[in-house]
Amino acid sequence: MRALALISLAGAAAILLAVAARGTGPEPGQASSHREAPLISEDPSADNTDLYAFRSPDKPNTLTVISNFIPGEDPAAGPNYYTFSPRARYNIHIDRSGDGRADITYRFRFRTRPGTLFLGNTEQPYTVQRIVRGRSRIVARGVTPPNNIGPRTLKERNYRQVAANRVYALAGGGQVFAGQRDDAFFGDVGAIFDLLAIRKGTGDKGGGRDFFAGYAVHALALQIPISQVDTKSHVIGIWSTSERQRVTIRGGRARNAWVQVSRLGNPLVNEVIIPTTLKDLWNRMTPAQEARFAKHYREPILAKVMNQLYKLGVPEKNRNDLVAVLLTGVNQPKLNYTGPKLADMLRINLSIPVTQPGDFNRLGVLGKDLQGWPNGRRLGDDVIDIAERAVAGALVGKQVPLGDGVDFPDKPRLPVFPYEADPGEGFANEKGR
Amino acid sequence: MRRAANPRLRRSPRSRGLLPLLAAATCTVVGAGALFGGVLRSDATADAGGDRAAPLIARGVSLLDRARATGNPALYGSAEKVLVEAEAVDRRSSEAQAALASLALLRHQFEVALVHAERARMLAPHVSQHHALVGDALIELGRYREAFAAFDRMATIRPGLAAYARVAYARELVGRPGAALQAHRLAIEAAGPRPTVKAAALAQLGELHISTGRLDGAEAAFRSALRVSPGFGAALEGLAHVEGSRGNYGRAIRLARHAGAAGTETLGDLYLLTGRNRLAEREYAKSHAFARKEARHGVRIDLEVAEFAADHGVRLGEAVTRARRAHRMRPSIDADSVLGWALTRNGRCREALPYAHRALRLGTKDAEALFRRGMVDRCLGRPASAARWFARAVAVSPHFSLLWSPAARRYAVAAYDS
Repeated sequence: MRALALISLAGAAAILLAVAARGTGPEPGQASSHREAPLISEDPSADNTDLYAFRSPDKPNTLTVISNFIPGEDPAAGPNYYTFSPRARYNIHIDRSGDGRADITYRFRFRTRPGTLFLGNTEQPYTVQRIVRGRSRIVARGVTPPNNIGPRTLKERNYRQVAANRVYALAGGGQVFAGQRDDAFFGDVGAIFDLLAIRKGTGDKGGGRDFFAGYAVHALALQIPISQVDTKSHVIGIWSTSERQRVTIRGGRARNAWVQVSRLGNPLVNEVIIPTTLKDLWNRMTPAQEARFAKHYREPILAKVMNQLYKLGVPEKNRNDLVAVLLTGVNQPKLNYTGPKLADMLRINLSIPVTQPGDFNRLGVLGKDLQGWPNGRRLGDDVIDIAERAVAGALVGKQVPLGDGVDFPDKPRLPVFPYEADPGEGFANEKGR
Repeated sequence: MRRAANPRLRRSPRSRGLLPLLAAATCTVVGAGALFGGVLRSDATADAGGDRAAPLIARGVSLLDRARATGNPALYGSAEKVLVEAEAVDRRSSEAQAALASLALLRHQFEVALVHAERARMLAPHVSQHHALVGDALIELGRYREAFAAFDRMATIRPGLAAYARVAYARELVGRPGAALQAHRLAIEAAGPRPTVKAAALAQLGELHISTGRLDGAEAAFRSALRVSPGFGAALEGLAHVEGSRGNYGRAIRLARHAGAAGTETLGDLYLLTGRNRLAEREYAKSHAFARKEARHGVRIDLEVAEFAADHGVRLGEAVTRARRAHRMRPSIDADSVLGWALTRNGRCREALPYAHRALRLGTKDAEALFRRGMVDRCLGRPASAARWFARAVAVSPHFSLLWSPAARRYAVAAYDS
């Protein structure tokens, strides 16, 4: 899950509000040059951090889905090198019928080469299975590139070339990549850790500090022909999960059940909408079971907090606008509606064209750029600002120019798949600018 | 003796407990929950109790985490003050209850921990950590069936390090070391990229190997822990035990010296075994001083003090008093073993017998408990029966204790001669 979302008011009353739910981020003691993060992921290698879905800018007849795991990877950390867990299953699910259930699942399983992890070998062989109606087929085999630890460990010096060589074809069309990437998320969460220090004067004028700059994640990236997933309405729902096996005290070697331990559709839902006491439950459920959480979307606690602290007059109840954006897709105007079934999924309308670079707006749909979140999610969409403004009422006619002051990621994306930038080099240690 | 919060990892599963591993893996759900809704500025107005409790909980948990990480019990009092206030402000805060349960566990106030843990669980039954806290308290209260149910429940809600570590520990307790090994491996793998957590999980595996007599396996696990987290105290202490068991006392002493607080008692034992009594006394004095410090900050140390006294043959009368007091509060197999041992060392073997017997009631493959059971029979003049116990102890592990394994091995051999 993502860490903290910050809100700040533009202009005179520039105050930062930290809304923290389940926190993730660089771990103290590892991130030596960084402030201490009080919130640490319980299970980092199975922890979903971000999900992106967009029509590929250089190949618009394909859909790219990127799912990031393992928050706050510190490239300079050693001798612990970050890897996918060989005892977890990592999934990307696609719903084509609007019922909140997976019609297609891509499942990644990783191995760790025996005995070499402590020597810095982070390359992991993996398989990708495509599962449709209960039947599964392996559609790719690959190896992750080594983590970008530094020149002495990396035999070839050109990391870009190394990573590019680890893009594989998917059987039936498309490409796949898995491995370490620069964390594309961006946002200012530093102030909250600094004993509530307040960074004044931000809002929508920039000036925040990107907490995630320089950190890495592990990503699954798929690029699939739109023809393989398209629907009559051209809208599909996507979410990502990870699973671990359950063991019991009296149980034995018998096949242990797989339990879902993390799920992610729309960004910030887990952090901002779902109460802490329900997170373990929410993480185990499928989007089809979302209805039991509906009241947390309809009466988001963030709206209450905004009003309590800053007297913004944000509507606190009956937020059907947020329910629409997050749980059914938007029908008025026609954007990405999948039906009345409530389900947290990233909904993308595959008929909406790729925005030309000059017309890109980080505020996505709120900035009149229809290719942005909540219609899918691109790497550059400023989901914190969009979410803050949406909760404050942007969709119901209440425009409050909220923002955390960080408007773009620290590294530009790659022009080609897998689009997420190469991770920073550990040796150079560029974290937390 | 065993430090309550940072216990020296002992070789017997039942006395090892989960605290070493839990000390390394910080308490996250509580911290996250406390912070939701904002790390509010202290002068922010808020009417609902929940908002006022949040910063208090955050502060309390932060103190707790720091105490756990540094092993400094002096922070317990301040943490308690803040958390009690949070509880008063918001009686329905499960985060406050969970934090109070964690604090009580650190202080070995297990019946207090259970009350808070059960409240947390009732207020928020879907949080796997609440089931963990309930189980942790129940284990030390000797209520194993219920504890295991809580652990199984948490493993169903959220498989991961916390669940795997507890399932591994419980499997050891019920005498399934092979199955425990599998679960330990899962735990190690689930520790992911966090060095101290992974090292703690590896050290637990090392302890399992010692308790089943596999010194080479133990060494490998402790060395892996040190690669992952150089200087990790529990791993250095474990290696010291391994080398001491092999008779490499020089090497063992060097390792124990580097283990810091985790190695104090082992270092003392190694000095004792090599005839350096004054140096041994100095280490034991350090241990006792820390225990007194813990006691000053609300930690119950009766069981640890009693066990040290019985093991080292000092202040034996006090050993029984303290062991009884501890047993009343926490009638676990741990307390059974210590009370039985304290009575045995005082020559009160008929009184010791039921406790030594009950210490084995779960079927734990516990060389130390089997040895102590044998000592009861030896004291009662039942040499044949004693011999069988000693043989079983050594078969489980000939290296369960630097101080007592030699005796166990001697008595087991002597049994065959007679």
